[in-house]
Amino acid sequence: MTSSAVILEARAITRRYPGTIALDRVDFRVYRNQVNVLIGENGAGKSTLTRILAGVEQPDEGYLLLEGAEITLRSPRDATHHGIAIVHQELSVLPNLDLADNIFAGRELAQAGLLVCRSLEEQRASEALQHLRSPMDVRTLAGHLSLGCRQIVELARALEQRARVLILDEPTSALSNAEAESLFAVIAELKRAGVTIIYISHRLNELLHLGDHFTVLRSGRVVGEGQRSEVDRCWIVERMSGRDIPKADDAQALPVENSTLLKVANLTIGSASNSEAQTVPVRDVSFSLRKGEILGIYGLLGAGRTELLRAIAGVGAIRSGSIQLKGKDLCVKSVASAVKAGIYLVPEDRQRDALVPELSVRENIALARGGGFLLNQRKESKSARQLIKDLNIRVSDLELPVTALSGGNQQKVIIARCLMCSPALLLLDEPTRGVDVGAKTEIYTILQRLASQGIGIIFTSSEIEEIQALADRALVLCQGRINATLERRELTDEALFVAASPVVAAASMARTGSVSL
Amino acid sequence: MTATTAATRPSSGITLSGVRALLLVFKARAVVVLVALLILFSWLAPAFLTANNFQILTKHVAIAAILAIGMTFVVLTGGIDLSVGSVAGLAGMLVGYLLTQGIEIGGTRHFLPATFCVLIAIAISLLVGLLNGWLVSKAGVAPFIATLGTLYVARGTALLISNGKTFPNLAGEAARGNTGFPSLGQTFFLGLPMPVWIMLVLFAAAVLISRKTPLGRHIYAVGGNERAARLAGIRVPLVKLFTYVFAALCAALVGLIIASQLEAAHPATGDSFELNAIAAVVLGGTSLMGGRGSVTGSLLGACVIGVLSDGLVMLGVSQFWQMVIKGAVIILAVAIDQLQTSIQARFLPLLLRANNGAGE
Repeated sequence: MTSSAVILEARAITRRYPGTIALDRVDFRVYRNQVNVLIGENGAGKSTLTRILAGVEQPDEGYLLLEGAEITLRSPRDATHHGIAIVHQELSVLPNLDLADNIFAGRELAQAGLLVCRSLEEQRASEALQHLRSPMDVRTLAGHLSLGCRQIVELARALEQRARVLILDEPTSALSNAEAESLFAVIAELKRAGVTIIYISHRLNELLHLGDHFTVLRSGRVVGEGQRSEVDRCWIVERMSGRDIPKADDAQALPVENSTLLKVANLTIGSASNSEAQTVPVRDVSFSLRKGEILGIYGLLGAGRTELLRAIAGVGAIRSGSIQLKGKDLCVKSVASAVKAGIYLVPEDRQRDALVPELSVRENIALARGGGFLLNQRKESKSARQLIKDLNIRVSDLELPVTALSGGNQQKVIIARCLMCSPALLLLDEPTRGVDVGAKTEIYTILQRLASQGIGIIFTSSEIEEIQALADRALVLCQGRINATLERRELTDEALFVAASPVVAAASMARTGSVSL
Repeated sequence: MTATTAATRPSSGITLSGVRALLLVFKARAVVVLVALLILFSWLAPAFLTANNFQILTKHVAIAAILAIGMTFVVLTGGIDLSVGSVAGLAGMLVGYLLTQGIEIGGTRHFLPATFCVLIAIAISLLVGLLNGWLVSKAGVAPFIATLGTLYVARGTALLISNGKTFPNLAGEAARGNTGFPSLGQTFFLGLPMPVWIMLVLFAAAVLISRKTPLGRHIYAVGGNERAARLAGIRVPLVKLFTYVFAALCAALVGLIIASQLEAAHPATGDSFELNAIAAVVLGGTSLMGGRGSVTGSLLGACVIGVLSDGLVMLGVSQFWQMVIKGAVIILAVAIDQLQTSIQARFLPLLLRANNGAGE
C-alpha cells in the first residue's frame, strides 16, 4: 500500500471518560475508496472513535491527518467542511421538517447567502434520493417516515454534502431485511462514486459481504487489521473476543431444579410508540424457565430482546399470548402487577430508567420497597447495609449520592433494589453494559448465587462471551422470533452467530457469492 | 388478527376527505374563531364595526401582535421569554429619561435628538435580549428561569431610572432640539396608524425569516430536535441568541410606541404583557415544545385576543369576567391543539397511503 491510499488517518488517539479510557492510543487508517470496517464489542470504543472522526467529540491526545495534512475538528460543522459526514446510530432526522429541509439542514442553499432557494433544494434533494434509488416525495415530513427511509434521508444528506468520507454507525441495526439490502446497494453505488466509507456493524455476515479493509477494536485498543483477503469469520471472532473474560466454571453450574417457574406462550408484543404503528417487535414467542435457571437471550440490536423482557415486566403492549408464573396465569398489565407477582426488571439504560441520581445509595436501594405508611429509615439502612455486604458494593457511606459510584457498583445497587423485595423472577437487560471487567465477573457470580437460591433469572446480552459465561440455556432471537434454543453445551460462537443473523440476508449474500464461510 | 381489525376500524366509518376537512378546520381554527368573534360582536354591539372603533382596535392588536411575533421565534426553538413586558417598560423609561433629563457630561446637560434617544433605548433593550440568549445558550440556564430573572432585573432598572415616578411631557422642546417623539405612535401613514405599519413590517420580516432564510429553517430545526440540529452542523447557540435578541427588539418597540402614544413613560408599562404574548402564540397553534407553529398563526392569535378584549369591553362585560373568558379561550385553544395532534396521529397511515397514491 502506498501512503496515498490512506485518505484519513487517526494517530495515537486517546479519549478518557470519567473512570474509563474509551480509546487508548488508537491508530486507525482509512483507505481511499474502500469500505473500511470497524468491528468490536459494545464498549470497545467504536462509537467514540467515529464521533471523534466526525468532530462530535475531541480527542484528549493524538491527532488526525486528512490527505496527509493535520486537521482539527472542533465541531460537526468542521468535519462537514473537510468532507467527512456521518450517519449516526441513533438516527438524527428533524421530525418536524420535510425531507428537502432535512437533507439541507445546516447547509441551506441560499441566494446571495440570504434567502433559501426552496425549489433548487427540492430538485437536488429529489435527485439525491433518486441517485440512492429511493425516490420519495421531498415534501413529506421526516417524522412520518419509517426508520429505513429516515436512514436513506441521512444518506442523501451525506451524498449532497459531497462527502469524501462517509461514516455509517450501525446503519442496519434498525432496518428490516429488505431495507438493509437496498442500503447495501446504495453503499456499492456510493463506492462507485468515489466515496470512502467507514462501516460499523455487529453483523458479521454484513461485514464480510461489504468490507474491504478490517480494523478490530477491543477495550479501546486496535487488536487487529487486515484486508478482505486475509480476513474470515474466525479471524474476526478471535480478535473481538480475545479478552480473557473468566468463563464460568462448568463444574460450578449447579443442578437445575426441575419445577417450571415461568411459562410464556405465543407472546406477541406491539410497538409502544405511535409512529411505528406497523412494527411488531416480538412475534409468537414461547418458552419456559425452570426455578433457579439462568436463561440468556441473545440477538442483534432490534431483534426484540429488550421488548420481550419489558413485556414480561409489565412495560409495553402485549397483543396476544399468555404468561404463567408458578402455574398461575399472570396478567401483566402494568409494572405494579408484575412487581406484585415478584417479577423485577433491571433495565438496559440504568442512568435513564433505573437510578434516581438525586437520591442516596440507601434511598436508591430502598426505592421499590412498598408497604407500610411511614418509612422506617433504621430498618431500611439495616437491610441496605446487608445487601451492600452481600453484593460487595464498594461504597464508604450509605448516604452518598448514587452518582458517586462506578458503573459496576451502580448496577449492583439496582440489583440490590430488586433483591430487597425478594423476587421470584429477575429480568436483566444487558446486565454488564458499561461495567468494567472486574465488576462483570462479580455480577456473574452474584447472579449464579441468586439462581442457586431458586430465583429465576432471564438476561439479554449482545455479547457472545456473556451468554457463554452465564447462561444455562439460551434463546436466540432474530427479528422478533425465536430462531434457536441452545443448551449450555451448544453455545458455540458459530451457533449463536448463525442463529442471530437474519436468514434472508444471509441467503441473498450466498446468492451474490461474495461470502466465503 | 385482532390487531388488524383494530387498526382498520377507525377508517371504515370516516372518509378520507372527511378527515382532511376536519384537520383543515382544526389547522385554521384561529381564523375560524376570529371570524366568529367579528360576526358575534358586530351583531351584539352595533358600534363595533365602525371605522373609529376599528382604528382603536388595530392599535391594540398591533401592540399585542408585535410582542407575539417576537415571542414566536423563541417558542419555536423550545424556549420562552418572560422578560418582554419588563423590557417594554425599560425601553419606555430609557427614552423618557433621555428626552426629559438628557445626558450629563462635565456638569452640563446635553439633549439628544429624539431619533438618537429611540436608538439608544433600543440598543440597551437589545442588551437584555443578548443577556437572555447568552444565559440560555451558553450558560445553560433554563429559559424560564433565565428570563424570569431578567424580568425582575429589567423592571427594577426601569423603576430605578425615575425612582418609580413617571416621566411626563415626552413631546420634547424645540429649544432642546428633541421634538418629534410622539409621531412614532400617533401619526398616520396611508390611513393606517404608525404602530400598525411597524407591526406589518416586523410581520413581513418575521415571515420572510421563518420561511425563506437558513436562519428560519434552523429555528425550526433546533425546536424539532436540538441534538440532531447540532449534529447537522447548525450553530444552535447563535440561533437561540438571535431569537431572544429579536424578542427584545419587538418588546422595545412596544415600549416606545406606548410611551409615544401617551407622551409619558411610566415604569409599570408592559406589566404582564409577556403572558398576553405567550397566549397569542399558543392560540396561533405554535407548540410550546418547539418546532411547530408559525408567525402568521401568532398574528392571528394576537388578533383573536385583541378583538375578544375590545368586544367584551364594548358589550360592557366586567373586567373580571373578561379575564375568566380569556383564560377559558386559551385553555380551549390548547386542548383543541392536542385533539388535532391525536387525530392526525391516528389517521396518519391513511393520509400517507393516500398521498403515495397507487404506490402501495
